[in-house]
Amino acid sequence: MIPIEYFLTLGAILFGLGLFGVLSRRSAILILMAVELMLAGVSINFIAFASYLDTDAFTGLIFALFVITVAAAEVGLALGIVLRLFRERRTSNVDEASDMRW
Amino acid sequence: MLKRIPLPSQFDRIIIGGGITVGAIGVPLGIVLVTLVAFGVISAPEMVFFVAAIIVILGALGCVLLPNIVHAALSLTATLIGVAALYLLLMSEFLALVQVLVYGGGVVLLLLFGLMMTNAQDDPVVTDGSQKPFAFLLVSLLIGTFITLLLSGDWGNPTAHVVPFELFGERLFREFALPIIIVAVLLDVAITGALVNVHSTGSDLPEESE
Repeated sequence: MIPIEYFLTLGAILFGLGLFGVLSRRSAILILMAVELMLAGVSINFIAFASYLDTDAFTGLIFALFVITVAAAEVGLALGIVLRLFRERRTSNVDEASDMRW
Repeated sequence: MLKRIPLPSQFDRIIIGGGITVGAIGVPLGIVLVTLVAFGVISAPEMVFFVAAIIVILGALGCVLLPNIVHAALSLTATLIGVAALYLLLMSEFLALVQVLVYGGGVVLLLLFGLMMTNAQDDPVVTDGSQKPFAFLLVSLLIGTFITLLLSGDWGNPTAHVVPFELFGERLFREFALPIIIVAVLLDVAITGALVNVHSTGSDLPEESE
C-alpha cells in the first residue's frame, strides 16, 4: 500500500508551485491557471485524509467535491471579468489594470 | 535528417520535438521503475503513483514556467489528468470521474477559449513579473516547511478504503443538503454575473462567455 506521506508531499509541492505561479505570472489567465494548481493540491490533501484516516465520515471527499464546483464557478466568472478588461483596455496584464490600487 | 522530411508547419516540428523530449525522459524512467518493481523495492501501486506524480509535477512546472501561454494551458491539462489518476489511487472513483469531466473537459476548454479571445490572438508569449526570484525563495521556504513538518509527524500506518457510491450520495444529500443548495445558488449567481459582465454595452457585437 502507498504511504499517506507520499500524497501529502505531492499536495504540498503542487500547492507551492501554484503559489509560485500566482506570484510570478503577470497575465490574468495564467494566474487563474496557477490558482487551479493550488486548488488541486488542496484537494489531494482532503481526499488523502478522507480515504486514509476518516473512512467512516469521509467529509474530505465531500469538501473536495465542493472545491471542484466552486473552482468551476470561479473560472467562469473570472474569465468574464478578464474578457471585459481585455475589451476595454486591450490588455490582460494585471500590472496595467491598477486604477483601483491604493 | 529533419530538414529532408517535408514539414508543412511549425506545429509538426513542435510535435516531433515534444515527442522526442518526452521519450528521452520517459523511457529511462520507465525502465528504472519497472526494474525497481521487479526486484521488489517498490510495489506496483507505488510505481503507478510515481508515474502519476512525475506527470503532475512536470505539468505543473510547465504551467508556471513556460513562456507560451497556450503551451502552459496544455501542460495544465496534463497535470489535471494526472491528479485524476491520483484520485483513483486514493480509491475515490467518483471524484476522479468528476475531475476528468469538469477540469479536463470544462475548465481547460474555457481557459483555452479565454486565451483565444485575449492574448493568444496576436502574441501568445508573455513575460513574467520582476518578483520571480522573491517568489521562488518564498515558495522554497514554504514547501520545505510543509514537507519537514509532515514527515516529522507520526501518521501510523493507515490504509486507504473504498467509499461506496450509495453511502457517498446518501451522506451528501442528507447531511450536506443545505451546502448543496448554497452551491447551486452560487453557481447561478456566478454564471449570471459572468453573462451580465461580458454582455457588451457599447460595441455592436454581443459576446457570450459560456
